[in-house]
Amino acid sequence: MEARHPTRDYVREEVLPTTFCPGCYNGIVMNAMALAFKELGIYDLRSYVFVSGIGCASWIPNPYLKADSIHTLHGRAIPVATGIKLAKPSLNVIVIAGDGDLASIGGNHLIHAARRNMDILVIMVNNLVYAMTRGQQSPTTPQGFITITTPYGNFEKPFDISRIIVETNANYVARWCIVNFPQLKESIKEALAKYNRGFRFIEIWAPCITYVVRYEGKTAGGALKEMSKKCVPLSDYEKLPMEKRDGCIAVGVFKKELKPSFIDLYKSYVEKAVGGVNGI
Amino acid sequence: MKERSVCLIGSGGQGVVFAATVLANALFAKGLYVAQLQNYGAEVRGGSVMAYVVFSESEVVNPFLNSFNVLIVLHDFNVSSWMKYLEYSNLVIVDDLLVSKNFCRAIKAPLFRKALEIGLAGRENVVALGFLAGLNVVDKDDLKKALMNTRDFEQNAKALEAGYELALQMRLKELQEFSK
Amino acid sequence: MRKLLSGNEAIAEGALAAGCSFFAGYPITPSSEIMHYMARELPKRGGVFIQAEDELAAVNIVIGASLAGAKAMTATSGPGFSLMQEGIGYAVMVEAPIVVVDVMRVGPATGQATKPAQGDIMQARWGRHGDQYIVSLAPSTPQEAFELTIEAFNIAEELRVPVILLIDEFIAHGREVVVPPKLVTKYRRTVMEGGEEPFNSMNPRIAPPLPELGSGKYLLITGSTHDGWGYRDVHNFETHFNLVKRLRDKIMLNLDRLFMYEAYGNEDPDVLFISYGSTARSVKEAVNELRSRGVKAKLIRLKTLWPIDLELIKRLGGDPKVVIVPEQNLGQLIMDVERIYNPFEYRVIGCNKVGGGIPIYSNELVEEALKVLGSGGKASN
Ligand SMILES: Cc1ncc(C[n+]2csc(CCOP(=O)(O)OP(=O)(O)O)c2C)c(N)n1
Ligand SMILES: [Mg+2]
Repeated sequence: MEARHPTRDYVREEVLPTTFCPGCYNGIVMNAMALAFKELGIYDLRSYVFVSGIGCASWIPNPYLKADSIHTLHGRAIPVATGIKLAKPSLNVIVIAGDGDLASIGGNHLIHAARRNMDILVIMVNNLVYAMTRGQQSPTTPQGFITITTPYGNFEKPFDISRIIVETNANYVARWCIVNFPQLKESIKEALAKYNRGFRFIEIWAPCITYVVRYEGKTAGGALKEMSKKCVPLSDYEKLPMEKRDGCIAVGVFKKELKPSFIDLYKSYVEKAVGGVNGI
Repeated sequence: MKERSVCLIGSGGQGVVFAATVLANALFAKGLYVAQLQNYGAEVRGGSVMAYVVFSESEVVNPFLNSFNVLIVLHDFNVSSWMKYLEYSNLVIVDDLLVSKNFCRAIKAPLFRKALEIGLAGRENVVALGFLAGLNVVDKDDLKKALMNTRDFEQNAKALEAGYELALQMRLKELQEFSK
Repeated sequence: MRKLLSGNEAIAEGALAAGCSFFAGYPITPSSEIMHYMARELPKRGGVFIQAEDELAAVNIVIGASLAGAKAMTATSGPGFSLMQEGIGYAVMVEAPIVVVDVMRVGPATGQATKPAQGDIMQARWGRHGDQYIVSLAPSTPQEAFELTIEAFNIAEELRVPVILLIDEFIAHGREVVVPPKLVTKYRRTVMEGGEEPFNSMNPRIAPPLPELGSGKYLLITGSTHDGWGYRDVHNFETHFNLVKRLRDKIMLNLDRLFMYEAYGNEDPDVLFISYGSTARSVKEAVNELRSRGVKAKLIRLKTLWPIDLELIKRLGGDPKVVIVPEQNLGQLIMDVERIYNPFEYRVIGCNKVGGGIPIYSNELVEEALKVLGSGGKASN
């Protein structure tokens, strides 16, 4: 039997190869998702709807994934996902977009969806820059980084998005580097199965191969090696003295809960008030 | 019946829009065609408020009027914006305490003082409604019915009655003119 | 049964009568009453209501809900309408049926938040970037607000297009008698059965059937240029040109169905008024007044503000001595009207007033008409 890459079962072969740059980590994100689905026994994605914004990461589902996918405006994936989920709750709605899309132009939607514990899974591919528009500074660009719009170094402090979401009413928050492939895959599985309600957020640290890795004169392999040294499990990170934390990336599951979600609460409030009937 | 119109002007918080709403509801319940419009600022309290009701047995073609059969002014805050209305309206009634400016042709009526007298300051809007009933513009019982579902019905009914009595006491000659 | 309703309430009731099952909105005067009504009523009727974090979210939530099968609506006013433009353009591109209510207030910026205006008619038409066509309707009474809301849903569903209901604050907050129609015709979108392209149609007058999420068809939906199956094509001339042409034709080839109007007064008038919304109420009275004084006068009242049938307006208007276009703005519809009347033969004048909540009064229109007629009417050069 011919060996077949597991991801192929979940992609539209007719649109391959992808337009991602050679070495782009978006392929690893796709593999992690595909493997997560396979291991959960989900062989077709007909009950899943993928919603993305604008940017490189947003191209992962549209057109590559063999599923219903909606490629929305820049920053508006979460509202569209919210509308879909509320109008047809039987669908599993997954948002995939970049750091610029979700944390900058769509930042307000992100924190409000988290506050509402809206029933969607959001996967943020944090490549540290606005990759699609040629690598400008994003709200997650580390301090000191040189980008095309911070030619003298980025003096702004970045957001720690996962920490921000932890502070909200979200049910599930995890961050993994692209080198933590097995853990990332397990996290996706968890957020799809065991913790399948409320707002779930997975940040994937995957520096842009073109505008971060090569821009700094590094190779894809070298960058991965460096990254595996930098990412520290959450429990270890918290034991580190402050001065040693700089430059480290805390990875792990920050939060996992099964609090009632937006839809759970909508149902129960409406039922209490008007008795029985409701649309969700 | 010819098309008729009643306008109330006051300051935000005096319940001018409320009074117009009650009046419109009362006339509507009678089976008339009614159009109720208002003009107010962004603030809930203070500011100048104008609300009016046009009613007729046939459809109201154009509710945008610049003169009214009856115009009641409960407060003269910023009243200059409505000068045209004061000039052109048939019967102009102004509160004798809260409106200090003098307008020619205007008839002074102690609407606010009446409300004070019965211990219901702030309900001069409903006193004004009663006054309108006393002028035969609208049936008092219809107003009472329209007030039925409001908060503090008892007080409103009392204010309505007081306004009605006030109009009768004043025996305005315009009263007859208007009801013709 | 007759009711006493504000225009905003009439829109909410009209929406429910049309089968609206989803509402997302963000508070803004003078549109909020629509949202208040929906917040109270939708959950009772098996619908969904959500207060969004801003208008960007509101319009996009509604688009998502529509794509997932709901008849969905949002309502806003000037500043929020500006924020929704990008989303409306997206809905045009992915052909999502949505209804957007814009209760027009005085702008620009925060302007006079509680006061009426008619300043958004060009924004409703052209407010987005790129070539895009929508439908916009403008009721003159709460009764018509009820009826045109139903029409808005029907057009949206039939043509897979955003429909914008432009109502001015006078009508939105004014309460008048409404008699809801006993029988409501509800158009329901056709849904893809398989085999058909969800973004192409052999007959440009007809919208392709809507894709249905979760039906195993693996749909691609994108706001980028796409082919009939939704595959993105951001390079080829033909793909883009055919797409935007079809999106335009879908609207413009249905002009006869979409352009709604009322003609009132003399067949062959000396004074022709062209107006819409609340302003047309004063015009109607002015027409009556002029006719009672022996002046032949006519009103063409547009219920559809886009697309508009200029040729038809020209035909209906006869050979007037003067054309007056009263609007509560500094002159927007008049730009269209000027295009159909030869400036060497006809006089087209505006009658404009906006701000402070002061309407255009009928006597002002009568005076204006008599003044122009007295000075000879037709352009004399
Ligand atoms: C309203 C708007 N502003 C700007 C853009 C241009 N734009 C396209 S992609 C992008 C940045 C994407 O960055 P990110 O979300 O991090 O995705 P990445 O490409 O890095 O994966 C920008 C600014 C746009 N499409 N829309
Ligand atoms: Mg990025």
